[in-house]
Amino acid sequence: MQPSDETRSIPNSIMPPLTDFLFYAFSGLTLACGLLCVLNPFSRNPVTSAMFLVLTIVSMAGLFVLLHAFFLAAVQVLVYAGAVMVLFLFVIMLLDLREEERRRFKTFTLGTGALVVAVIAGLLVRVLSGALPVSRPGPGIEGDTKVLGRILFEQYLLPFEVLSLLLLVAMVGAILLSKKDMK
Amino acid sequence: MELAVGLLGLAVLLADLWIAPASRRILGWGAAAVLTCVLVFGLGSLAPQSGMGFSGLYVVDPLARFFKAFFLLSGVVVLLMTVEYADQLAVGLSEFFALTLFAVTGMLFAASANDLTMMFVSLELITVTFYVLNSFQRGKLASIEAGVKYLILGALASAFMVFGIALIFGSANTTQFSELALRQRELSGSRIFLTGLTLVLVGLGFKIAAFPFHGWAPDVYQGSPAPATALLAIGSKAAGFVLLLRLLFGAVPEITAEWHRLLGALAVLSLLYGSLCAIPQRSVKRLMGYSSIANAGYLLLGVAVVSPAGSVAVLYYLGAYCFAVLAVFTVLCVMMNSSDTDDMADFAGLGMRSPVLAGVMTLALASLAGVPPLAGFIGKFLILRAVIAAGATHPGYYGLAAVAVIGAVISLYYYFGIVRMMYWGGEPLERLAISVTPGAGIALLLCVAGIVYLGIAPNGLLQLSADAVAGIQPAAASAFKPTGH
Repeated sequence: MQPSDETRSIPNSIMPPLTDFLFYAFSGLTLACGLLCVLNPFSRNPVTSAMFLVLTIVSMAGLFVLLHAFFLAAVQVLVYAGAVMVLFLFVIMLLDLREEERRRFKTFTLGTGALVVAVIAGLLVRVLSGALPVSRPGPGIEGDTKVLGRILFEQYLLPFEVLSLLLLVAMVGAILLSKKDMK
Repeated sequence: MELAVGLLGLAVLLADLWIAPASRRILGWGAAAVLTCVLVFGLGSLAPQSGMGFSGLYVVDPLARFFKAFFLLSGVVVLLMTVEYADQLAVGLSEFFALTLFAVTGMLFAASANDLTMMFVSLELITVTFYVLNSFQRGKLASIEAGVKYLILGALASAFMVFGIALIFGSANTTQFSELALRQRELSGSRIFLTGLTLVLVGLGFKIAAFPFHGWAPDVYQGSPAPATALLAIGSKAAGFVLLLRLLFGAVPEITAEWHRLLGALAVLSLLYGSLCAIPQRSVKRLMGYSSIANAGYLLLGVAVVSPAGSVAVLYYLGAYCFAVLAVFTVLCVMMNSSDTDDMADFAGLGMRSPVLAGVMTLALASLAGVPPLAGFIGKFLILRAVIAAGATHPGYYGLAAVAVIGAVISLYYYFGIVRMMYWGGEPLERLAISVTPGAGIALLLCVAGIVYLGIAPNGLLQLSADAVAGIQPAAASAFKPTGH
């Protein structure tokens, strides 16, 4: 991917303003929707949360597009926003979640949560603002599926195969834990 | 070798289809036998060559071999233990065997991981397997609770680790340990890199149950089925430590040398927290949970001295710890067949009821507490010696040594609480002798042999550990401070 390497190597200040603007818009959207997903002051309905999760995922896909990772963006929308979220909604519909709606946040939980988030965010802001702008060219894994496939099946073959075992374990486990009665 | 174990897991799953539910235990025997074969032949054939594979992601060196043998051995004992525990599990016995095998596969991969992606993937394989193993007794609330707690905290730790890996990759542009080692001087100035490294350490700290990331250990240890707890206590911890050693000494030895203060602080806190909290415990499994935190403290001490002697001590300590913990949990499995709880009161009068079991338990606990001439004593001694040797360069290490001694004294108290209960705890609730099946018998025999042998003749394992540490990385070895011997 030629263009991606070029845009990466240019420091922030000369970057096209539109890209800059889109980056901040998508990041802001991701953060805001993520927050609303877990902490919505207006509604305690799980379906609303799920919808905000969809928005979070879509805006993250936007971030991927800005990084020229088109394939990843498409997969993100198809798999997460599509398939996984449909499954989530099904589960939410099948469960009776009235109980959950009535539950209130405890001040202590909120306080400690906010504190932890603030500390980690502060740390990251300090670290990132202090770091020099990284001007190294990207590794070139983003972009078209051919490159991705080659890297996946050549350089990272072993982790890829281990992941298949992991998925098998997850499947066996899910069946085992959810089956009504085992013989 | 990993392939063999993974395939064995699949074979067990398939074989389950043809074997009648009543005779599923045979599968456990078979799996244990095959695993022993893999241990003997696999290690024999692997012995001469050392090298990398899969474009440098996978490495076979003495350290990897040491840990592979370690994991296979604990896998065999845990399988035998599961056969003993079969009645308690009631359902899905063959799946339990298969999942145990998959967890062992993950550990074998972890022992050879030479890359951050490989490390993450193998750790995830281990963790996901444990999500299931921990909540295996679905009927029991405690088991479900253990599974959920492990799931939530495990997911959080994985998130930290993957974020750290992303930061490391972002600043270093590589995930391979050996390439990181070449560029560490330049990278140690990068704040992003250091933050990433810290986050990865948080993830590993969860695996080894070190102090600030220990919250899950007691509850999960108590709630999970005993064989799962044993595998968690040994396999998961050892996998965490092999990766810690590889990352800290193989990839970034210079940064590690600067971080010895942080590591020392973590070690001391884990040690004191684990030891002090273990004192009032009534449940033996819960006590083992706190003791595992304390032991993570000892092991971290060995890492914090940043010397080959310290790393050798870590490996030896793990070996000794492995046998002792396996022995304790095998006895627990046998006991729980008749009583279903692991309360300390059940151990009352075990000395009269079943002198052999009580004897094994005493031996294992004494080894954990560090009573000479057992294996645990040599492990603690080696760690202390490394710490004191490091004191020559930095006086703060004498303080660490003092804390380690205090921890050992406290541990003597709580381990011997169980021993006292067994011999002087009053009349047993029932007088019936506990029968030991051949499977548990073999497991116990192995453990006892290990504890005594490592205590009396430590040189064999010591030599192996020294080879393993020397082989971590040639480039890294020169960067060690010249402490110890």
